[in-house]
Amino acid sequence: MTPTELATATLPEGTVPPPLPGFVVSSFSPLAAAAADRCLTARHGNPPAAGEVGRRTAVVLLSGSGDAPMAAHVADAVDTGTRIGPLLFFQAVPNSVAGHVAARWGLRGPVVCLCPVAGAATEGQAYARLLIEDGDADEVLVVTVARTAAHAVLIGHRQALGEGE
Amino acid sequence: MTAPRVAITGLAAVSALGRGVQAQLAGALAGTAAFGPVRRFDAGGRRVTDAATLTDAGTLADELAGAVAAACHGLSAAERATTPLLLGIHGHPDGGRDTTATTAGFARALATRAGLAGVARIYTCACVSGSTAVADAAAEIHKGRSGRVVVAAGYLVEPDQFALFDAGRALARDGAARPFSSGRNGLLLGDAVSAVVLEPAGAREVLAEVTGWGRAGDAHHVVRPDPAGAGMARAIEAALRRGGLGPDEVGYVNANASGADGDSAEAAALRRAFGAARPPVSSTKSVHGHGLEGSGLLELVITVLAAQAGKLPVNAGHLAPDPACDLDLVLDGPRKAASPHALTVNAAFGGANTALLVRAA
Repeated sequence: MTPTELATATLPEGTVPPPLPGFVVSSFSPLAAAAADRCLTARHGNPPAAGEVGRRTAVVLLSGSGDAPMAAHVADAVDTGTRIGPLLFFQAVPNSVAGHVAARWGLRGPVVCLCPVAGAATEGQAYARLLIEDGDADEVLVVTVARTAAHAVLIGHRQALGEGE
Repeated sequence: MTAPRVAITGLAAVSALGRGVQAQLAGALAGTAAFGPVRRFDAGGRRVTDAATLTDAGTLADELAGAVAAACHGLSAAERATTPLLLGIHGHPDGGRDTTATTAGFARALATRAGLAGVARIYTCACVSGSTAVADAAAEIHKGRSGRVVVAAGYLVEPDQFALFDAGRALARDGAARPFSSGRNGLLLGDAVSAVVLEPAGAREVLAEVTGWGRAGDAHHVVRPDPAGAGMARAIEAALRRGGLGPDEVGYVNANASGADGDSAEAAALRRAFGAARPPVSSTKSVHGHGLEGSGLLELVITVLAAQAGKLPVNAGHLAPDPACDLDLVLDGPRKAASPHALTVNAAFGGANTALLVRAA
């Protein structure tokens, strides 16, 4: 049986996400967290995610350029000799916001960040299937972040929460 | 039909220990740390100025291309042309300064230069980039959905990540990485560029097999590991389950430990997964430093080499036992391996954990 889309959420181009405590300079992580929250709320209601399914949900984050504003900020600070705040260390990689989502929702499956080579949607779906079929996750939250937009989709088998097809 | 076994048929690595796989093994077995003052860029304004860098390192693109070429030695041009690349990398090295420099473009250029069949996936998941790529490649080969692939991963110490780690007070102030040791006070960065060829066993000489793999998350904190080590333990248990091995059959664990506070979380994970088995453990970050996106693959290469040699790398920099890190550490020179099965464990920001189980051929 092929895994299907259990929930989706889209933050359209131009979205200004709510601030995410601990994440500064860039809207990359707030966008990812907001899209993830909306998608997971549609599936689970309030956090944490329900029971065994939540514990076996992976978080996969796709972004073509990563947190580009953050990278540019750090490069500029290095080149100009400007002080770099310690908070920036904690958001140096996209894993950080994926970890935020996983901790907030109690998702204990794999945490993976990918840079899509062709199409993010196709690649995210294929990667979710890989993790589910390999057995390290029952459901996979795939969050795709662009410059001012984000999309999240939860992929899995519909029976996992006892729902009918 | 029997599921294909996952063979490693090519290995290559570059780090501050030197060029080539034998330099990695020799350095790891000797336990001689390669840390020193950074001369590649001006680190003068930083709190810490040490790292493990290879003196004559080229650009990341050149070093990755060299590693892929070395790992693919023995493959014909036609064979390379049907072999895709999985790449673990932080991003395009110029990404912070050139908005036209894309990570996908960097990866495609590497694949083209190496004569490979394009890029299958790019992993940007920090310190588990290379190890996650290997786990995924092994899963696909084992299910018969993939033929030969090349996994490459790399990081060369550069000013931006160095500045971030320095700002985060993550770097060791005493010029040494001391994994699992009392008195440890941080990690030190290091060059790590590696490539591995994976394929269904049978067609070519097998250097080692990837017999098990596991990936799991902590769901604990943005960057700090779960002090109970539950996520890493689940990754290890998944690897052992896939490998059909009991905890007492593993002869060596190449640990993720970097000399940071979080080493105790890994010790908890190892105790949780292995119980009374207590396999010998060392972290080779103590000699080659923390290679970030390149770390997992370099440590896999060293784990394979150690399993092949039947000798266990030293956990260098150790000052005194830390009761929170009660493990059977390899402290006293290279120890003889009691089993051909070895495990390499990695963890990253976001609570990402991987475990790769290998068996020497």
